[in-house]
Amino acid sequence: MIKFKPGNLRVPQFQRPVYVVAGGTTDYRKHYPEYKLEELCMMAFRMLLEENDLKLDPLEVKGLINMACYGEFADHFQDQLLCEAKVHDYLGLDPLPNVGIKTGGATGGYTTLIGANMVASGYANCVLVLGWERMDEVDTRTGNFYISTAACKDFETRLARMYAAYYAPMARRFAHVFKVKEEIRAAIAVKNKGYAWMSPFAQQPAKLTIEEVLAGRIACDPLRMHECCAMSVGAACMLLCDEETAYKLSDNPMRLYIAGGTHTLRVADRRNMEIPLLPHETPGMYDWMEKELNEPYPGFQSFLASRFAAYMAYRMAGITKEPCEELDLVELHDAFTISDLQTYGDIGLRPYGREEEYITSGDAYYGGRCPSNLSGGLLGTMHAVGATGIFQGIECLWQLQGKYDKFHGEPKMWERFGKKKPADWQSLQIPRRRRALWISHAGVGSHVTCGILVNPEEVK
Amino acid sequence: MKKSKQQVKKTTRTPARAKGKKPVTKKRLTAGLKKPEVKFIGTPMKVEKTEPAMVIQWPRTLTHHHTYGLLTPFFEGLKQGVLRATRCPTPGCEKGLWLPPRADCPDCHARMEWVELPNPVIGEIFTFTRVEYPGYGIELSYPYYQIDVKIPGCCTIMKGYLIRGEAKIGMKVKAGFRTKKPTNTILDLYWEPVD
Repeated sequence: MIKFKPGNLRVPQFQRPVYVVAGGTTDYRKHYPEYKLEELCMMAFRMLLEENDLKLDPLEVKGLINMACYGEFADHFQDQLLCEAKVHDYLGLDPLPNVGIKTGGATGGYTTLIGANMVASGYANCVLVLGWERMDEVDTRTGNFYISTAACKDFETRLARMYAAYYAPMARRFAHVFKVKEEIRAAIAVKNKGYAWMSPFAQQPAKLTIEEVLAGRIACDPLRMHECCAMSVGAACMLLCDEETAYKLSDNPMRLYIAGGTHTLRVADRRNMEIPLLPHETPGMYDWMEKELNEPYPGFQSFLASRFAAYMAYRMAGITKEPCEELDLVELHDAFTISDLQTYGDIGLRPYGREEEYITSGDAYYGGRCPSNLSGGLLGTMHAVGATGIFQGIECLWQLQGKYDKFHGEPKMWERFGKKKPADWQSLQIPRRRRALWISHAGVGSHVTCGILVNPEEVK
Repeated sequence: MKKSKQQVKKTTRTPARAKGKKPVTKKRLTAGLKKPEVKFIGTPMKVEKTEPAMVIQWPRTLTHHHTYGLLTPFFEGLKQGVLRATRCPTPGCEKGLWLPPRADCPDCHARMEWVELPNPVIGEIFTFTRVEYPGYGIELSYPYYQIDVKIPGCCTIMKGYLIRGEAKIGMKVKAGFRTKKPTNTILDLYWEPVD
């Protein structure tokens, strides 16, 4: 059993405020032979410098950068050690310091976390946070094998060589414990792929029905192919600054809070423990789980790492009430429908055991109290792994800045990527723009970050 | 993809000719040079496509020299038909057995002790999946059931596979061992229904 001591539960504190000022991204594709990796990174970097309404010329903005943090999931995919040096040089940032960060699917989130700490500590005033993945050098089955080496190579990898096979048992146990029908998971796939329809960056937008998802091909039972994200190629970046630099560059920078959590690589090794409570939760509220279900926590149904990251991030950002009341948007790590569903309880969108109500209540949809994955998420838009936790963050940024339409609705943005804006395109700009949260998530919950952007204009 | 003029324009005159000197011939170029000492001994890469960019095939064959370290008794045990777990010897620490085993206790850092589980080892399926789309290099014929097995006395829930039958949550399963022609991997441990 994991037992906390007071030092373990110290809430992280930045030494000075950190702001997100700008974002950039490529579109995302299964295959992207048109460009080399560093060329894709340049594409995202250019967007960051040139298209975020910054108050200085692009090269003046670049002239403020004094640190770069780079996220890349797997050297296997790039087949290039020290890819960071290659990208950094290509962007013309030598001899500034840079660091590579690797935490599986949460690489983008942790790259942001490290970048934020560079600013918070005073090491840097202006940090480029950039992530990428090039997953098209190998075929899909080889890619799946590579990813499965992020399961335990001695005890798990050979038992599937496919990551869906490590999530599928959790999906089955979740359904067994909380009596959740698979239509709920299917609804998540329908929702997120549907929102991807509005994104010029999206790799696999689709208009599906719950029936079509459930009738689809099985990857690892009970997960269908439609419930699993795809191999992806692309890059995303954001610019982090201290307060003075942030307002020098932008009239509407967003304040950033971000915290991390971890848990075992193998689900097998999760031992029973007490549930750490979020600020709005009350002692005793989960006694029923132990008494009625006799189910261990976090068991196979929840992610301790996500709970721990949210536990800290909510306290950092001063979120004390029900998260659905305080947040106007969440971008969650829907690598699989089940990981999305499990996370609802971890971050308190609903109490544990009532996760499905976040979907059935309508809260999760555009127009609902706290919509999720309006970007199209990983299922619909992208999972170029090292870029993902950064892409989610910049979608939150643009939403809070009121720029959803600028980046998703301009016909020229679609044409840039060889696409045509759909005739039935609709804006997914959120009307209230106070706070947005994103979850970056690795393994079967081995590493998670919870990032929260706060709009200083709306939250005094 | 558009080609720039520079890319398609062919050079028709060598710099030497342009200066009115003698044309550069192959004979002149190699005159006085010794036989090359460094030869290309590899295999030329195959060009897979030329549009929208040149893409080559870059094959890989690799062998890693992987150690089982202090867990060697576990993998040796599978070949002998026994399942070995580890236990923390420290009083008041985690009482449950570790399977997968660990050599060191994560709570108090003590070196663990080996415990041999008496056969038959009976466990219960906690959850499972039917693997229909495995990744490259899969060594089990598929589809098959990958199962998570709750073993009495363990603080962990170990992953494995069912060698026959249909998996159900709560089903009793018995550990089996690939002692003939072992694979020297975790696949030497399998589970079968308790009939």
